[in-house]
Amino acid sequence: MAIIERPTTAGGVELAPPATPTRAQGGFKRPVSTTGWKSWLFTVDHKKLGIMYGVMAMFFFVLGGIEAVLIRLQLAAPEGKVLSASVYNQMFTMHATTMVFLFVMPMAAAFANYFIPLQIGARDVAFPRMNAFGFWCILGGGIFINLSWFFGGAADGGWFMYAPNSGPIFSPSHGVDFWSLGLQIAGIASLTGAINLIVTVLNMRAPGMSLMKMPVFTWLQLVVQFLLLFAVPVITVALFLLSFQRNFGATFFDVSAGADPLLWQHLFWIFGHPEVYILILPSFGIISEVLPVFAKKPLFGYPFVVFSGAAIGFVGWGVWAHHMFASGLGPVSVAVFSISTMAIAIPTGVKIVNWTLTLWGGKLRFTAAMHFAVGLIVLFTIGGLSGVTHSVAPSDTQQTDTYYIVAHFHYVLFGGAVFGLFSGFYYWWPKMFGKTLNEKLGKANFWLMVIGMNMTFGPMHILGLQGQPRRMYQWTEARAGEGFFNLAFWNRIASIGSLVLSLGILLFIINVIKTARSKERAPLDPWDARTLEWMTSSPPKEHNFDVIPTVHHLDEFFHRKYEQDPVTHEYKQIATAEEILADQEAHADKHIHMPSPSYWPIVLASTLPIITIGVIYSIPVAIVGGIFLVLAMFGWALEPSTAPETDFDPPASGDSTKELAPLV
Amino acid sequence: MSTKIRRIAAGVSGLAATAFLAGCAKDAPQDTWQPKGTNAKTIDDLQQPVFAIAGVIGVIVTCVVVYCIIKFRDRGQAMPEQTHGKPALEIGMTILPALILAGVGVFTFRTVFDLSKTSDTQMVVNVTGQQWWWEYDYPAQPELGIDKPIITSGQMIIPVGTKVLLRETSRDVIHSYWIPALNGKRDAVPGRVHTLRIDADEPGIYAGQCTEFCGLSHANMRMETVALSKEDFAAWVANQLTDAKSPAENTLAKEGEAVFLNQCVRCHQVNGLKKADGTPAIAAPDENVWSGAAPNLTHLMSRNTFAGASWDLLSQKCRADVWGASSETVGKKYLAGVSEECLNQTDLRRWLRNAPAMKPMYADPTKLTPTNGKYRGMPNLGLTEDDIDKLVAYLSTLK
Repeated sequence: MAIIERPTTAGGVELAPPATPTRAQGGFKRPVSTTGWKSWLFTVDHKKLGIMYGVMAMFFFVLGGIEAVLIRLQLAAPEGKVLSASVYNQMFTMHATTMVFLFVMPMAAAFANYFIPLQIGARDVAFPRMNAFGFWCILGGGIFINLSWFFGGAADGGWFMYAPNSGPIFSPSHGVDFWSLGLQIAGIASLTGAINLIVTVLNMRAPGMSLMKMPVFTWLQLVVQFLLLFAVPVITVALFLLSFQRNFGATFFDVSAGADPLLWQHLFWIFGHPEVYILILPSFGIISEVLPVFAKKPLFGYPFVVFSGAAIGFVGWGVWAHHMFASGLGPVSVAVFSISTMAIAIPTGVKIVNWTLTLWGGKLRFTAAMHFAVGLIVLFTIGGLSGVTHSVAPSDTQQTDTYYIVAHFHYVLFGGAVFGLFSGFYYWWPKMFGKTLNEKLGKANFWLMVIGMNMTFGPMHILGLQGQPRRMYQWTEARAGEGFFNLAFWNRIASIGSLVLSLGILLFIINVIKTARSKERAPLDPWDARTLEWMTSSPPKEHNFDVIPTVHHLDEFFHRKYEQDPVTHEYKQIATAEEILADQEAHADKHIHMPSPSYWPIVLASTLPIITIGVIYSIPVAIVGGIFLVLAMFGWALEPSTAPETDFDPPASGDSTKELAPLV
Repeated sequence: MSTKIRRIAAGVSGLAATAFLAGCAKDAPQDTWQPKGTNAKTIDDLQQPVFAIAGVIGVIVTCVVVYCIIKFRDRGQAMPEQTHGKPALEIGMTILPALILAGVGVFTFRTVFDLSKTSDTQMVVNVTGQQWWWEYDYPAQPELGIDKPIITSGQMIIPVGTKVLLRETSRDVIHSYWIPALNGKRDAVPGRVHTLRIDADEPGIYAGQCTEFCGLSHANMRMETVALSKEDFAAWVANQLTDAKSPAENTLAKEGEAVFLNQCVRCHQVNGLKKADGTPAIAAPDENVWSGAAPNLTHLMSRNTFAGASWDLLSQKCRADVWGASSETVGKKYLAGVSEECLNQTDLRRWLRNAPAMKPMYADPTKLTPTNGKYRGMPNLGLTEDDIDKLVAYLSTLK
């Protein structure tokens, strides 16, 4: 039941026109399609955008995964010949860039977009057009960065892009230009998304939902949005400096002009460390939803999980230089950042304790989602503890830039962030698509991923501690040591592991296709869930809730289904999800106000790649792009709030099922 | 926690540690767990307990999770108590790790400052990184027998048991000097001088590798630190202070000298080399190479690796003899240098024939616009096989 807002008449009385223009002053009228490709291209619906974020992120996950497998094939044997040195350097740069900026971040944004409004009982986000604009920006940025493969080679300086190696002398192809300008475009998505979701969470919660009654996923996503809000501007500045150095002859990192290349490192990591928490906290949020549902008890220590999340958000700003322990900072800075890094382990440990205690005494159902959530606890703990070993700065000077670090952050980001996202897929799929992913395939998917990831990244601990540095396009037998379990052996195991891992992910894709083809509908509340997003139809209606719920409890939905017996203190079911939904539908709100679709987000976003192409190849093109940008902004500002009556299909006079109840 | 779980935890952690150690390579040249110098040992003394603590905590968490999985599986039990947490337990579980980390922090703090100590330095070497090799310049230090500066590359020679201060910088991008057996790594940043202190307990060849990504051939930027006994070090210094002697007339080597003067001397200095007119031949790498430097080859055959320490100058057999030597004999064997019969002709010739094909570099003369025509690395010189024969003969005289 798609609903498009339109001005209506009430009992034959013309209502006062809206304050915004009703005529198309900006060139375009408002689109009205509710089906077909137009309904996706011009949508401002947070759920459609969430799905689009997810599809895009999944595409880049596969791309980044192929890059990873190529890297492992190159390193499977000594003096690997699969890739040249130049292509290898591009490959690991783009693998990291793709996985960080074009997979984990947009996938977390997909969940945030889809579920934050649902979890807080809202009908959409605060700024729906800006939401759509953000999506088109990150898609455009992602495509733009990858275009470099076809225009003389991708960026080859590593995702950290240290100066001066990223300068025009040392990286003469246009790869770094595509990289920095593409990330600049993608960064707009993070920034607008952050502003949008912060406003949404702070202003649009259902009545009664105080901050401390908010689901943990929404809480941790809120922390992430604040991190983005403050971190993205830093990388924006750094990328501007880099682009000006490369394209307009500036000398920000040029040593011969008196610059200090460490400036880039500080800028990059002041962004880069909060970024790590931007990547991991959404997954922490997801499993903080999944664990209580499948343990049939509330999250243990909800306030501790929330406040430790906020604490990570704060302390995360004071640890960036631990990426620079070998860069010659001096003992005072090194000691201070070493201690602050240890300090951040405390709130992280609090989370692990709370998840474990959520399991304790529960009634655990091991669905695929639960498998991934429990997997996260263990794998992230390993990654967290290896992190503690190199928070010890002297120890880090041995480990940094070796495979030990590669092992560490893949346990954190793959075992942590990615497992959390997969847990989210299995948990929320029935809500998003009305069909449950196949559980058997899901568990096989989990086990292949667990085995694959431990085979791939586990041996890297040994490789690193035994001295194999990162970012080498070849390793040699001469430094691999003696014995059966030498470094050659572990490199081979890691490469085989990457194939097992790929198989696991392939299984997920098969599962998605199989599920899409299946006719079997998921039950309304397949997991006996606890939060508001499950209190509506699956997939949710365009306006999410027929009645905006009034919240009385943390885990509101649970408390509507179950009631505690005052004498025996046992919980009894008092209502089913179906009954609750039927009751809502019977009392549906008369005033449902939904935003209309719009052409402008995609039009405005499409001007940005024109500008960046121009910056690289020809300034006049950039100027033309700039003019389009300004025009599109005017178009956006002058857009009518709704489409004219006659544009609706069927027109208002017809017998429309899409029409809203009249405004009274 | 029950004693049963504790016993399981101890058992599993012991097993895990054993499995991990048994799973490691023997004698990996860059093993970070085999310290051979004071600072590396200081680091190791700090990190071993940290690894142990981290390992034990990891095993405990895993065991508790596994226990929960088994014990609290849904077997149709009643809906669990809807408990929202136990603040006392939560606070305890926050304070406990904080205390452990505070303990680690105190020792870390002390170690950081111990490692930064440079006041008792006994010797100085200036270490300069460039794409993709290391240059070592020993300032004159008469008390060590170094009467005038010595310049060498690839392998740094230090006297055993001497506290050596490395003053690192770079001529192009950021590199990182790392000899795991002697100390952690320290970045060499252009425009800055960073210090790192190393010393070696016993004579030996200690392998290392550039660990800050430095572009195309980052993987081919290796180095060794060779520790020699005080006497052997003195002998090495004495040899380094001599100039190269011109080969006898009418030898292949003499013809090779002419090829060298024609080609190589544009970038590579050989001290004492004279042009045909008797004037000194001065290399001008700054005119040809972006970093402005190329390895000094005066005593090429006193080192046993070349091209950023990525290839051996010694044949397999001779290499095994020197690198595998005991600490008592390694010095003498190393000082013997590369004899005619030990020379790894294959790799050296391959290098002279087409260096960029062996080690990726920015040396295509048609693609040097960004660097104003300067190379990054060594170009293909287009030498004939004849020239290569001659050059190899000449280079072999540079002991």
